[in-house]
Amino acid sequence: MREVSRDRIKAFLTLLPSIILIAVFVYGFIGNTVWISMTDWGGVASLAENPQKNFVGLQNYVELFTGFLDARFRQDLVNAVYYSVLLLAGAVGLGMFIAILLDRKPRGEDFLRTVFLYPMSLSFIVTGTIWRWLLAPQGGVNIVPTFFGGEKLTFQWLSSKQALLLFNWQHLLPVLLYVVAFVLIIIGLFTLKGDTPKALKRYLLPGLGLGACVWLFGDLLPQIYFMEEMHGFNLATLGIILATIWQYSGYTMALYLAGFNGISQDLMDAARLDGASDWGYYRHVAIPMLKPITISAVIILSHISLKMFDLIFAMTGPDNAETGHPALNMYLTTFRANEFSKGAAIAIVLFLLAAMFIVPYLVSSYRQRRARS
Amino acid sequence: MAKVELVNVSKRYGEVEVVRNIDLEIEDNEFIVLVGPSGCGKSTVLRMIAGLEPISGGDIRIGERVVNNVSPKSRNVAMVFQNYALYPHMTVRENMGFSLKMSKKSKSEIDERVTAAAEVLELDTLLERKPSELSGGQRQRVAMGRAIVRKPDVFLFDEPLSNLDAQLRTQMRMELKKLHMKLATTTIYVTHDQIEAMTLANRIVILKDGFIQQVGTPVEVFEKPANVFVAQFIGNPPMNILKGIFKTEEGRPVVQVGSSVFPLPNGQGSSLQSGAQVLVGIRPDAIKMGRSTERLPKEWLCQGEVIVSEILGGQSLLEIVIDGENKLIAEVEGRVIAQPGETVPIGFEFDRMVLFDPETTNALS
Ligand SMILES: Nc1ncnc2c1ncn2[C@@H]1O[C@H](COP(=O)(O)OP(=O)(O)OP(=O)(O)O)[C@@H](O)[C@H]1O
Ligand SMILES: [Mg+2]
Repeated sequence: MREVSRDRIKAFLTLLPSIILIAVFVYGFIGNTVWISMTDWGGVASLAENPQKNFVGLQNYVELFTGFLDARFRQDLVNAVYYSVLLLAGAVGLGMFIAILLDRKPRGEDFLRTVFLYPMSLSFIVTGTIWRWLLAPQGGVNIVPTFFGGEKLTFQWLSSKQALLLFNWQHLLPVLLYVVAFVLIIIGLFTLKGDTPKALKRYLLPGLGLGACVWLFGDLLPQIYFMEEMHGFNLATLGIILATIWQYSGYTMALYLAGFNGISQDLMDAARLDGASDWGYYRHVAIPMLKPITISAVIILSHISLKMFDLIFAMTGPDNAETGHPALNMYLTTFRANEFSKGAAIAIVLFLLAAMFIVPYLVSSYRQRRARS
Repeated sequence: MAKVELVNVSKRYGEVEVVRNIDLEIEDNEFIVLVGPSGCGKSTVLRMIAGLEPISGGDIRIGERVVNNVSPKSRNVAMVFQNYALYPHMTVRENMGFSLKMSKKSKSEIDERVTAAAEVLELDTLLERKPSELSGGQRQRVAMGRAIVRKPDVFLFDEPLSNLDAQLRTQMRMELKKLHMKLATTTIYVTHDQIEAMTLANRIVILKDGFIQQVGTPVEVFEKPANVFVAQFIGNPPMNILKGIFKTEEGRPVVQVGSSVFPLPNGQGSSLQSGAQVLVGIRPDAIKMGRSTERLPKEWLCQGEVIVSEILGGQSLLEIVIDGENKLIAEVEGRVIAQPGETVPIGFEFDRMVLFDPETTNALS
């Protein structure tokens, strides 16, 4: 018994320095940022030796979401959401697809693997510069069709003013509820085949009910903004999304390929004997088995996409409103406009968004570990 | 249910030939066991029958159909792997129903057949568990369940019990036997375990270096091994092999081993010239001691010096030297406690003695 507790003390002492450092420099500073985001630090005297910081509660957040001057932040936030979703779908999908092709052991697999992984090793500044050139309106990708005798494309990859899926920020609440309903219905449809009663009870009916309610009574929900303000998916961000997918699909490919290689020959043989086609093997055996890999890829990519800064900076500069991103906005607000408290509020919003991806994962893996022990 | 026929089947990996011109005819409902040392090609033969490995030459026929170019899933064979190869992300129920799902069977039919198979294998209460939540023996059952729900023409087993402990292995072996009697399906079974081979097989196939050494019923391969390799591979402890010279003495064939003369009551070696060199094979359990020697004819007895004796419960293993030079292992009934160095009377069942050609090591008729 005494031995054990001495061991524990030793372990604790060994860990203590890093516990203190992390407590101060990670959690302490998060706390400090939360505090600053609730003050009015900013404006003319913000760089004074002892700047005035008065507690103002959630005012900065309220302004970000409903203030007249912060429309740009709201578009940036919408951009970030589309950016994350499309990057996840693109990089995970493409990486998985390439991994499946390489898992078929084509000739030159080693070489191809290196080729696909290579973009990972570039810095975002380099990637951004390359892709800025490739996506220039008069050159690069746009002139590819002329090699085949086609017309030159005229799409403005990085400066298009077009936007899709516009919605009015006034109606944010009903829109969010529609999204929730939509996701529930999609999940319901996917699980319908496997476990019909559960799919109906847990997803499909609530989803349909919620959608119907919002449709019927959505007008009763308060409008969160005093005038019409449209936001949507800016087509100018497509180029940035492409570049990021290009850079990260090699990484997800490597994750999946390692996973596929770890599946034993016997298991593949068993699946073949059980009548699974090549596609069936991936669809029913390999990919479901690699769920932990998919989850890690989603978490890593989602927090990367929420923090994205340098790539956008290199591709379109900090001031291109169409391709803005909250991280860039945070930088501009804090260090150019010296609105420290508002910058902190943006940082906290990003932090909470990232937590939305990571906390459910941590909770479920913690639960699993508890269930196992 | 189907016959399986291998005609002149061979398998090469590049230059290396690992299975060489195998001919084998497996009857409907037969239980065939493949044995042989590690690396002799047992798994390769099984995988070729399953279609997981293309064949380099010859024909494989299942039922009336040549299946050389038929994909594994269309051969209607089921295989149980040594490490079970269960799908870790599926429940027991899903594991067992997977093949039916792949062949687009209706949900109610899948349910029905999985439930029936689970009952046979006593898995009913475990259907909602994942493989990681099962014991080794239970996983083994699930692997078998996955094979039997398909009602395949042929079962293939690749050392299915070798990951289990000795007790469980014995129990599962019996259940396998019962299962085979109940399902009456052609079965090809690879094992390292002598006892499994002897108890389960209708016929045993002994392989070495990709060649078939002998095909026969368990008793045949035990009593009439085709060559020295089979004689020593089958049976534990292995058959004693001694050098001897064939002779005719007083009109009767005998073998001179050292200074002793062994009679050949069954006329073994009738084709031999007098004075020919032979190898003499005697099973350890064909050597008798104590009271069981009384049943033997007088001239089948001699004296032997005990080197070591070990008691294995109901039987004893002894190392004996006869004529001061030929060492023998004997497996005798009862607890024979003999002091090392003691000389005791021993008897041989000479009618079970086998002669081999020392050049080819093949058995002599
Ligand atoms: N893919 C391969 N490429 C080259 N040689 C192979 C390959 N697979 C198997 N072999 C060789 O074929 C021979 C037979 O292998 P096999 O797996 O059939 O042996 P086995 O009798 O099942 O052995 P064990 O009892 O150890 O399982 C071995 O010598 C092995 O090295
Ligand atoms: Mg093997």
